[in-house]
Amino acid sequence: MGAQQRKIRVLMGKPGLCGHDRGIALVVMALRDAGMEVIYSGRHNSPESLVEVAIQEDVDVLGVSILSGGHLGLCERIARLLRERDARDIVFLAGGFIPPEDIPKLKAMGVREVFRDGAKLEDIVRYVEKAARERAAA
Amino acid sequence: MYFERLKTAEQEWRERHKEEIEKAEAMAPACEDGVPLKVLYTPPDVTADYYKDVGFPGEFPFTRGIDAAGYRNKLWTISHYAGFGSPRETNILFRRMIEHGGVPPYMALDLPTQLGLDPDHPMARGEVGMTGTSIASLRDWEIIFDGIRLEDIFVGTVINAPAAVILAMHVVLAEKQGADLGKVRGNLQNDILKEFTARGNFIFPVEPSLRLVTDTLEYCAQHLPAYWPLNVCGGHYPEAGANRVHEVAFAFADAFTYIEDALKRGVGIDGFGKGIFFLMKCNHTDLFEEVAKFRAMRKIWATRLRDRYGARDAETMKCRILGHSGGSLMTRERPELNIARTTLACLAGVLGGIQLIGLRTMDEVFGIPTEKAELIAIGTQHVVAHETGLPDVVDPVGGSCYIEALTTEFEARVQEEIERIERMGGMVKAIESGYVRKVIAQDAYRTQVDLETGRKVKVGVNKYRIEENEPPRRPYRYKPEEERRQIEAVRQLRRERDNAAVQKALKRLGATARQPAGSGSNLVPPIIEAVRAYATIGEICGTLREVFGEYAEPTTF
Repeated sequence: MGAQQRKIRVLMGKPGLCGHDRGIALVVMALRDAGMEVIYSGRHNSPESLVEVAIQEDVDVLGVSILSGGHLGLCERIARLLRERDARDIVFLAGGFIPPEDIPKLKAMGVREVFRDGAKLEDIVRYVEKAARERAAA
Repeated sequence: MYFERLKTAEQEWRERHKEEIEKAEAMAPACEDGVPLKVLYTPPDVTADYYKDVGFPGEFPFTRGIDAAGYRNKLWTISHYAGFGSPRETNILFRRMIEHGGVPPYMALDLPTQLGLDPDHPMARGEVGMTGTSIASLRDWEIIFDGIRLEDIFVGTVINAPAAVILAMHVVLAEKQGADLGKVRGNLQNDILKEFTARGNFIFPVEPSLRLVTDTLEYCAQHLPAYWPLNVCGGHYPEAGANRVHEVAFAFADAFTYIEDALKRGVGIDGFGKGIFFLMKCNHTDLFEEVAKFRAMRKIWATRLRDRYGARDAETMKCRILGHSGGSLMTRERPELNIARTTLACLAGVLGGIQLIGLRTMDEVFGIPTEKAELIAIGTQHVVAHETGLPDVVDPVGGSCYIEALTTEFEARVQEEIERIERMGGMVKAIESGYVRKVIAQDAYRTQVDLETGRKVKVGVNKYRIEENEPPRRPYRYKPEEERRQIEAVRQLRRERDNAAVQKALKRLGATARQPAGSGSNLVPPIIEAVRAYATIGEICGTLREVFGEYAEPTTF
């Protein structure tokens, strides 16, 4: 399979115990509509299992959504696991109910971009396409 | 004859104003679920039979309300949702709330509690005490209600998957306080079916989850006549994205599933039907359809309970509706406008004749509401209740050609969806196959696209924007020291209690769970014994997890 033909592969999942999945479901549908291969791992994932699946499935992008307020701790663990597993090239994105002042903290941890509630699907799709293309080119 | 003349007259009126009317109807404003609207409704649009379909308030089919004199005798309840952090802090909050006029506490719990995990479980890390109170064992329940007599108050708890455990804590504490169980009032959310598709706090697979609900219904029907063990939640569906028809159809399909399971056990419908409440969204969007929704709900419910389930007691047939305005409709942009939104939501609830209304605070989108915003939310309801004259007349919009036509139309659409689910083999099958989740996701997607393209207007967001600085947020912050305290407390408990008694109780619970569901294997009594021995919520749910397994959700939309 040639690099150009490969569809963008995305793993979307909800780490932790937060049950709100309206936002992530919308993003899953929008990415699929844009022609990407999206694996959705549902709710109640541990950071370990998300990173494991991301590596096993050889995804370009790992997207998580958190609305419970637990984003700092959960993203920190996921970013650390990605580093430990030598998978920092996977584009790590976070979304959900995230206060603006936390965005720099998340980015410092290794979250590539943050999409807060209210973000447009169109913008998310465009960002994922661009980030995955850059990853393939790297 | 009269209708024929009217129809002709309307036709002539249309002819006279052809251009104007056709232009307006071509714009096709429709309710969010596609109910087409005319520009004018006249008596011939009303197909409902007044005696049969509308009737009088306080009487079958209750379309016009469940109380004969409506709000003039009894205002709706102005609701409150509270509970946070440690059991100790919650105790202080509840005592204060009771002192301030006895508003019934409605308790929020943290996610580990809602998922049956102890504070020291690895998945609980960072979540203890975040979204509500953390409860690990009877000891926490004792702290929360320290100095509060359970016989004197109504305790509502937002708990679903481990609802039977919370019920058991309530029963044991009431017994310890020497309360008359016949007088103990309270309420569990206990609507597990919507967790699988809308709210997400599930533990066990669908069938054993349903068994636990039926066990609590049966237990309460026998031992706690004043306790309401089930709040069927429609409102979580629209919050997850579903349109209004699906909100009602799924809520009813869930309720019918619980009822039919309980009836199979031989629990009489008039024994537990009165304890079923509906927690619905009460929104300002498509306001008249919201009113029609509440009216149609009462008729569908009463008819089904009487004709299908054999209810004889009129109290059982009354559809009791608690309405909360939708958090997903509140905006971060121009947040003061959220007060206007909730005021109109309150109007929808009042015109719909519902029993309880809860409004969002204008600043909830920024995190924990400020006290000022809380007071505004409650004060908004006081204005509606005392300054508008709205409570004076029952069902004030009843008889409006538009409202009656919309009520009939809405009822038909809900019935159609309920029948679709029944053809699939019922709600359990509709959940397991992924159908319900898919419908909700597709509705949400349509709404999102409508908002992004501007077909739907959200003031301040996609129209009439004003650039301004966002007010500071007050997010629910993780409190590591509190998590440590709760972890230490549960570990100390495990050291101090009679562990042999705990093990014995858990073993008995496991053995009961392994028996097929039925009256002889009701899980509430063994859970009560485990709670009495201070087994933790994690141990009790862990025992059940070993027997039942965990739910794996379908992840396709």
